[in-house]
Amino acid sequence: MSEKDPKSEMVTQAGTLDSPAAGAPPAAGAQTQETDSKPVVIQTRALSKVYRDFWGRQKVRALKALDLEGCQGEVLGLLGPNGSGKTTTIKLLLGLLFPSEGEALIFGKSATDVSKNERIGYLPEESYLYRFLNAEETLDFYGRLFDMPAEVRQQRVDELIRLVGLDKARRRQLQEYSKGMTRRIGLAQALINDPDLILLDEPTSGLDPIGTREMKDMILRLKSEGKTVVMCSHLLADVQDVCDRIAILHQGELKELGRVDTLLTVADVTQIRARGLSPECQHEIRDCIARHQGELLEMDNPTTTLEELFLRIVRDSEARPGQRAKVEGQESIARIQG
Amino acid sequence: MVLEHEILPYFQWLLYGADESLGALPRFFLIVLAVALLGLLLGAIVNVARHGLLRGGDRIYGIVATGFRELFSISPRRTWALTSLAMKEAWRRRVVVSLVLYLVILLFASWFLRTDNQEPAKLLLSFVLMATTYLVLGIALLLGAFSLPGDFKSKTIYTVVTKPVRAGEIILGRILGFSLVGTVLLVVMGGCSYIFVIRSLDHRHTIDASSLVRVTDREGTLIGYDGRTSTDAYHHHLLELDTEHNGDSAVTSGHYHRIEGHGEQVRVLEPTGYLRARVPKWGKLRFKDRKGVDKAVGISVGSEWTYRSFIDGGTLAAAIWTFSGIDESIDDYLDKEGLPLGLITRVFRTHKGVIGRPISGAIQLRNPQTGLKSDAITFLAKDAQVDDQFIDRELPDSEGNTIDLYNDLVSDDGELEIWIQCLEQGQYYGYAQADCYIRLPDGSPLWNYVKAYISIWVQMVIVTSIGVTASALVSGPVAMLFTVSFIVLGFFREFFVWIANGPSWGGGPVESLVRLVTQKNVISKLDPGPGTTLIQGIDDVLQFFMQGLAQLLPDFSALSTIGFAAHGYDIPGDLIAQDLTICLGYIVGLSVLGYFLLRTREIAR
Repeated sequence: MSEKDPKSEMVTQAGTLDSPAAGAPPAAGAQTQETDSKPVVIQTRALSKVYRDFWGRQKVRALKALDLEGCQGEVLGLLGPNGSGKTTTIKLLLGLLFPSEGEALIFGKSATDVSKNERIGYLPEESYLYRFLNAEETLDFYGRLFDMPAEVRQQRVDELIRLVGLDKARRRQLQEYSKGMTRRIGLAQALINDPDLILLDEPTSGLDPIGTREMKDMILRLKSEGKTVVMCSHLLADVQDVCDRIAILHQGELKELGRVDTLLTVADVTQIRARGLSPECQHEIRDCIARHQGELLEMDNPTTTLEELFLRIVRDSEARPGQRAKVEGQESIARIQG
Repeated sequence: MVLEHEILPYFQWLLYGADESLGALPRFFLIVLAVALLGLLLGAIVNVARHGLLRGGDRIYGIVATGFRELFSISPRRTWALTSLAMKEAWRRRVVVSLVLYLVILLFASWFLRTDNQEPAKLLLSFVLMATTYLVLGIALLLGAFSLPGDFKSKTIYTVVTKPVRAGEIILGRILGFSLVGTVLLVVMGGCSYIFVIRSLDHRHTIDASSLVRVTDREGTLIGYDGRTSTDAYHHHLLELDTEHNGDSAVTSGHYHRIEGHGEQVRVLEPTGYLRARVPKWGKLRFKDRKGVDKAVGISVGSEWTYRSFIDGGTLAAAIWTFSGIDESIDDYLDKEGLPLGLITRVFRTHKGVIGRPISGAIQLRNPQTGLKSDAITFLAKDAQVDDQFIDRELPDSEGNTIDLYNDLVSDDGELEIWIQCLEQGQYYGYAQADCYIRLPDGSPLWNYVKAYISIWVQMVIVTSIGVTASALVSGPVAMLFTVSFIVLGFFREFFVWIANGPSWGGGPVESLVRLVTQKNVISKLDPGPGTTLIQGIDDVLQFFMQGLAQLLPDFSALSTIGFAAHGYDIPGDLIAQDLTICLGYIVGLSVLGYFLLRTREIAR
């Protein structure tokens, strides 16, 4: 990827959690400024969806006038509680649903245009695959749907099976797969055509921490290859780890849209991380803060995340089988917030 | 055998049709046009009502324009991928169980079939072909109607439609996949059932050589033996053997046996002639009434089915067939010269006569150009039996002069008339056009059997296509009911058309219902009034739609060729070609319809 990491570019941009006017959905124009240097891959204009019953009576308004843009090479997260309209948005982008109002464009084409699918990969929430096929047959089938010649298809199938770590299970029917394996083969089918845009619906759903980490690494890898990723999730940590920008939806409305780092920055709090500070030095820092009329909120040793701890133990266990894991949790990093 | 509609030559059927009807191809295009216009109208109404005039119109235009573009961008590789998937799915759904069921049916069939039947081949062929038809149509129905809804339910369709797959490829792939699975099933069923028929018909007789009666000439020299075989499989054969005990047995129950003598030992070989594929050359039928006046049809003897009409015995009434294209080459395949005729006579008795004794009739040959007629050749007609007659080349005319069949009785343009009369007063012969024919060399019974299976295959593919197309729009059970309705209406298409075309006795559907409820007979008119006007108005509308629907219904009874195979007649190649063309028409038409149905529905609802 030739472009600079957008995260590092946007550190000084304004945009905190409470920055937009309460209740007013942010306009798409606000983020166009941020993204106008790269081609727009997905675009929705006043996209709305109303679910109706057989008689045409309104059952639920799942999405209300969504304006959204996603640019090439970024990871865009759709965040929201259950029923907020994330999956509906993904389905509208894929053409699985028709908009009640507004429109969705992918690569400048209508979402209902089948030809857009040539450049799209989609991982649904539950990896809806044919369970009577094995991994090879599954990928070969989806490869054929892209009209790929046999040699290319075979090569791609081998690559992807290795990539998702299913080499040993390539001949097993999917009905014998664990949830994690099913998600992996689901991801492989989404990547069979080396897509430019990947839509992931709850990509870490049902995965163990290792699988979750691998999935997140995969998303970052795709991003580094210049691909656009749109993912929806209600797991905040996942979104925070991989997304450049997020759109927070609630009850079908866009509540927040912006860069993750900007949104999460608390402007009036300063964080200092240092290693090897003596107690005297720490005391000096406290004094310094007090001298400058600052309020010391916290000064302690940081804790790692449970995910980090778990992954470290597993890796250690794999490196030294049969031995008790060696936990290195006591790093002397002092963290000061003030 | 019943042949209610003349089988037209393929290209005449395709382009021009019979008298006063359209050829199949222009008719297909007309129906497609009508369905397209109707679909467009309905789509426009729904879209305009939902999205307003401009946006609704834009959507309709978009769907139609994209549709036409996508219909011509179908990828064989994608379609084959979906075809293979459908085949694997069918296999996973244990479609092979149907073969086990079929074998069980064959294993226990002999418990229920009457083995003392006079025409065992007809019985067995009808049974296996009918069983195969119903079983395969049932499988096609289930596979076709539940496949796509299954994908919708499991949401596996999401991962398919988000690839660059055209909706038409999904429909076509399903139809082809299930049709290929059905083809494999039919091949296995065909092989099993053929072996079953052959094995069931096989039997042997024995001959006690000491029971044979010596036949001598006037001088007392032995010229042969007469006798009969043992009774096996509920029948025996009369024998006329030469001095070496060689010969053929008489034909009984539609077959005979070759007899071989080995000194005093006489051996009866396997049955011959059970399975036949007679190739008839049909003529045009007309009648003369009891006074000898030309009529298009004979008289009715009260049967509601007007396929056959009758001539009365002991009068000038006659059934006359005119054959064209007759020349000496017709008997080239025989070892004697003459005209091989096949005749099926329905006998209607107004008095009992002698029970079991056939009713006598006469055959005459006539030159339509010169009017020269042969002398009457008498024959005995058994009701509904296929009677193979042979007219010698040299035969007497009505004045006793010897005339030549081909030189004197066939006109310059190759036409020959065959007159048949019933000789017994008070008795009647009934004929339809297909009841008298010139026998051409028999076709291969095995190939005829294969052709019967091809016609079953055609029906299976049509049912599959209807099921898959219906399931693109509605749920599995509804698609199944829809397809079942099509099958039932298709089997009774003629009746349906008769009701739709009215006026029929008892009025249309609503009027008939009113008569049923009020217990009114079908002849008397309903009391005039606004109620009756309303009922008849609704019936007129319903009959209009029924006429439209009738154009779409596949005529399953016409597609079936079981009658040909079971009665031992060759299935005409023209008929098979017509059936295959109809099948292709349904696949194309329903794939396009399915495309639009799938394209206009929300996959994720």
